[in-house]
Amino acid sequence: MAKIRNDYEHSWWPRLLQWLEDGSTTLDDELTQEMEESREQHLLPSHEDVAAYEAKLEERRNQQLAAELDMYAHAHRWSKTKGAKIVDWAYRIMSVVICVSIIWVLLQTASYLPPFGSPDNPVNNEVSQRYIEKGMEETGAVNIVAGMILDYRAFDTLGESNVLFIAACSVLILLRVSSDKHDPTSVHQLEVEADDRMYEPKNDIILQHISAFLVPMILIYGVYGVMNGHISPGGGFSGGAIMGAALILYLNAFGFKRTERFFTFKTFQVVSVCALSFYAVSKAYSFFTGANHLPSFITPGNPGDLFSAGLIPYLNIAVGAVVCCTMYAFYTHFRKGDM
Amino acid sequence: MLDTIRFIISLLLTLGGLFVLLSGVVGIYKFKYSLSRIHAGALFDTVGIVLMMLGVVVGNGINLTSLKMLLIVCILWLTSPVSGHLIGRLEITINDELEKDMMVLDQSMVQHEKEGD
Amino acid sequence: MTEAYSVLYSVTLSILGLFLLACLVRAIIGPRIADRLIAINMMGTLIVIIVCILAFVMNEGGLVDVAITYVMLSFLAVVLLTKIYMGVYHEKRRREEGNTDA
Repeated sequence: MAKIRNDYEHSWWPRLLQWLEDGSTTLDDELTQEMEESREQHLLPSHEDVAAYEAKLEERRNQQLAAELDMYAHAHRWSKTKGAKIVDWAYRIMSVVICVSIIWVLLQTASYLPPFGSPDNPVNNEVSQRYIEKGMEETGAVNIVAGMILDYRAFDTLGESNVLFIAACSVLILLRVSSDKHDPTSVHQLEVEADDRMYEPKNDIILQHISAFLVPMILIYGVYGVMNGHISPGGGFSGGAIMGAALILYLNAFGFKRTERFFTFKTFQVVSVCALSFYAVSKAYSFFTGANHLPSFITPGNPGDLFSAGLIPYLNIAVGAVVCCTMYAFYTHFRKGDM
Repeated sequence: MLDTIRFIISLLLTLGGLFVLLSGVVGIYKFKYSLSRIHAGALFDTVGIVLMMLGVVVGNGINLTSLKMLLIVCILWLTSPVSGHLIGRLEITINDELEKDMMVLDQSMVQHEKEGD
Repeated sequence: MTEAYSVLYSVTLSILGLFLLACLVRAIIGPRIADRLIAINMMGTLIVIIVCILAFVMNEGGLVDVAITYVMLSFLAVVLLTKIYMGVYHEKRRREEGNTDA
């Protein structure tokens, strides 16, 4: 609603009406009044007069302010009691309506899909036949899935590792409370240390002795899973997750101080960046050579050997390292806020 | 003939393992306090899995898969006591009314756990 | 002979499934945290047994690697969960002491 003005008499429409009516304007009256007043005052006004004049002005201003607030008090009361309730209800109804409409649109889209498993789907074309038939001789990997994700469709796996890296970066941005290097005894730093001691009540001796035996075993098993990615089910992602689990067990048994002896934030940075760059460099040259990529100088070798299948074992190692560091980073950041 | 003997041994071992597992499941419902149920849980990890795995290994013959199954048994034997110990420690720390449920012989240790560091 | 084995293992697998359900019910009911942790540990061991039997029946050697991973997973779960719950208890205690002190 429009603001009610307190100098409504001086705006152009009432003045126009008054001039039309009786030929006078308020401006004329004011001018004559001023001329008569100025004829009376030859001297400058004294201090008391000025002070009294300013006090009068202030009082008039306060009165006008009170009048304005009175005009709007009704509106303020409405917005706090009834208005709030109406807005609340409107918000709830709108949220339900929007959710239901999105669900309806998605279900409509899903109903247009072809029936599951019928032979003339666009998915069952001749590409998958070729992968199954010629997979082992062209890539050299006995595990066809590893051959597909790391040789035929290696670029998609690069995007996937990239997504993992971005997720780790987001968690770092949101949760990282790093130590203040300039002021090691700041209050914030002491608080973080005290919290750390609270979150690890006591380190258990039995757990420490068992972990001293088990952690190398789990690491060996993870390395076995990574290296045998092209022969048996396994590969970079699952082997990397197992290696990350070993590091988490070590951290839980021994505490943050002893883990920082060999795995700091710098280790995480160096390993992730080097592994991803190696992957990107070895597979992304097709940007420059077009679709006909350069013939690989690494021979596929005998299927079933450990170092066969061209570039696939090395790519598995890179992916495994990235996944291991990412798992460990997630755990420590959710637990403590720092590495 | 040999096959039949192998089958009968495998059958006996599997049935024994199933009996042990059944007693474990019955125990987890019948015991009255949660510290006693740890004992029922420990049955699974020690005796139950050995009998079942031996039943499968006897039917399978000795090859790499059987060795991996025996490796699983070794890992479980190493880690199951630690799990039981940790769960027991947790129960003592968290329970505020320890006197009602059991007879406490070493009060200072309970106090030490509850205080933390 | 293989028919006899398959009959034996079908019966075994269905009984093990029933045990799994029983442990799950205990995990839902159990009034204390320790009950639930024990039930989850038992469920993990049951799954390991089921996977090994399936690896034998279907003649697939690669499933036993999955079983080894599951053993480690259940052990790690118990270790982490106990630590977390003890930390929660100590934090609550400290906050209450801070309230009664101040």
